[in-house]
Amino acid sequence: MYPVIYAQWVKDKRKPFLILLFIGLSILATLLFGNIGENTESKVDIFASGPEREEIEEKWVTILNENSDIEFTVTSEEDAREQVAEGKRDVAVHVMEHDYRLITSSDMPNVQLVEQEVHKIFTEEAELQALTGTENTADIRKEVKSYLENAPLLVETEAIQGGELTKHDMGKQLLFVFTLFIAMFTIGFKVNGINADKVSGVWNRLILSPVSKVGMYSGHLVYSFIIGFFQMVVVLVLFKYVFDFEIGNFAMILTIAAVFTLSAVSLAMLITGIAQTPEKFYMIYPSLLPIIPGISGLYMAPGVMDNPVFTVLADIFPLGYAVEAMLDVALYNAGWGDILLPIAFMLLLAVMYMGIGINLGERRK
Amino acid sequence: MLETIKLSKRFKDKKVVDEVNLYLNKGESVGLLGPNGAGKSTTISMISSLLRPTSGDVKLDGKSTIKNSSEIRNVLGVVPQEIALYEELSAYENLKFFGRAYRVKKAILEKRIQEVLEIVGLKDRQKELIKTFSGGMKRRINIAAALLHHPQILILDEPTVGIDPQSRNHILETVQQLNETRGMTVLYTSHYMEEVEQLCNRVYIMDHGNIIASGTKDELLSILSSEDTILVELSNRSDTLMETIKALPKVLQVEETSEGFRIIARKGKSLLNDLVHAADKEGIQILNYQVEIPSLEDVFLHLTGKTLRD
Repeated sequence: MYPVIYAQWVKDKRKPFLILLFIGLSILATLLFGNIGENTESKVDIFASGPEREEIEEKWVTILNENSDIEFTVTSEEDAREQVAEGKRDVAVHVMEHDYRLITSSDMPNVQLVEQEVHKIFTEEAELQALTGTENTADIRKEVKSYLENAPLLVETEAIQGGELTKHDMGKQLLFVFTLFIAMFTIGFKVNGINADKVSGVWNRLILSPVSKVGMYSGHLVYSFIIGFFQMVVVLVLFKYVFDFEIGNFAMILTIAAVFTLSAVSLAMLITGIAQTPEKFYMIYPSLLPIIPGISGLYMAPGVMDNPVFTVLADIFPLGYAVEAMLDVALYNAGWGDILLPIAFMLLLAVMYMGIGINLGERRK
Repeated sequence: MLETIKLSKRFKDKKVVDEVNLYLNKGESVGLLGPNGAGKSTTISMISSLLRPTSGDVKLDGKSTIKNSSEIRNVLGVVPQEIALYEELSAYENLKFFGRAYRVKKAILEKRIQEVLEIVGLKDRQKELIKTFSGGMKRRINIAAALLHHPQILILDEPTVGIDPQSRNHILETVQQLNETRGMTVLYTSHYMEEVEQLCNRVYIMDHGNIIASGTKDELLSILSSEDTILVELSNRSDTLMETIKALPKVLQVEETSEGFRIIARKGKSLLNDLVHAADKEGIQILNYQVEIPSLEDVFLHLTGKTLRD
């Protein structure tokens, strides 16, 4: 086993670019897509036009900011349009006496959120104006606010196990998804070394040496495990200690990552056994992998993916189990007992994939 | 030392090796000659325990190696036809890897690596990556990797395929040196007749999975002792002349060459008169008439009716 690990290590030491690239991709993807939640609270420029520009702007900026989590700031029309055109802002709002227009260059998720917020506030203002029969709704708003402070009926929301309801954090979910998903590529390309050795003749040479077949497979699989796990640890440590992501009990997260790595190595072994040549592996594996987070609904909030076919298909891949367990730890302070089930599923998949994969590999002509 | 007894291999309905019997004495250099697809590599794979025979046996010092292959693996050094090396590693790193795989002790591994590099003449290039090497240099490292554990028997499967003449000569000299000065037993497969003639004491000729002839070079050439190979250069050729020559009672085989005909005929009275007469009839001049000293190539042609490169 050790000579095989030595050879793989020397190869990667000379050319570490693939691993570095995948580590970089994990970080980049999480930073790019993981901040969607934070972007919704970003600033939105508003402006008005015409002779009563200042009054209109002052009126709406106050109402909008009082009734929304989004921060609206007044700016000139020219600046607002420029920011949108240059892609620095997804959207700007042109406010009018009783109406508004959204200025946007692309259909980003933020645009819909801003649209919803602004539409709600403008409709509410129109209703209040109709109710009071006057343009000044400040008094009635104040009245409603003080009434709600001592409302006759109070609804309290509580988590199922008691305590405050935890808000789902899409940023953390995507951190886990990208970290695990991209590590699967690294792991796969390493496991594919088995096929490369078989095709080049190195494998046959090793069969004639005192290295046993178990040792030959173990060498490749253990090395792939170490590299894949190392990549995940680097990304998770970086996000925990440098980007200050609160990801819960780190030992538990690393345990889940380790079990996931084992199952990902097994999945790669299965594809290696099916493909039989490095070229076919490069064709099948990178085509299959991107489907997994999609059908597992991992790019969406939990519960959104409810297609029964996709759900069943997702269950035969380890990614969903790992992300679910990690989210339980990071968001809901789950204990060891809570993550046992997903870990057991991942181990089961690992045993199945490994067994079938090695058998298929050994049946080659 | 090593022998195969009725060694056969069948892939589905196709018998690729059919009851092959061969033996290697200690210190001998034996050639296994045959065209592509003759079954040489399959035979070697079975001898080296990479492939399980359908029937038959491989014996090392009288003991069967089919069920327990560890003994034969310890004494064998196999040089495969393909370049079985890591292209991304240097020559030194590749040898270190194979040395470790063969459990050469750390204390002597370094010495062994330098020793085999010296043998193949690439000591000064050991730090360079295999992918930067020429085809010939790769093949030399391919041989070096098989020598690290000091094998008693070296099996080389077409080690000179696709390389330049200079590298080819170097490889042949290396194999000769290993056999003559180190007493290594060599089984050398090739479809290049001249390599086998240069290197081997005994030759097995294989075709369609069968050993069709075997023996020393002289023994094989004696197959042709009752025949002459005659090269005839003509001013121009004609099919009629070829047919006329074929019809001559002494002639066994006629083959077209670039300049005329190659004729295999029974030894005895010269054919020259008959040929001159036949050519005259067709208005063709005989420019050159040469009785060839037979080679193993002629033996192969005689036995199979085709050349080695067919």
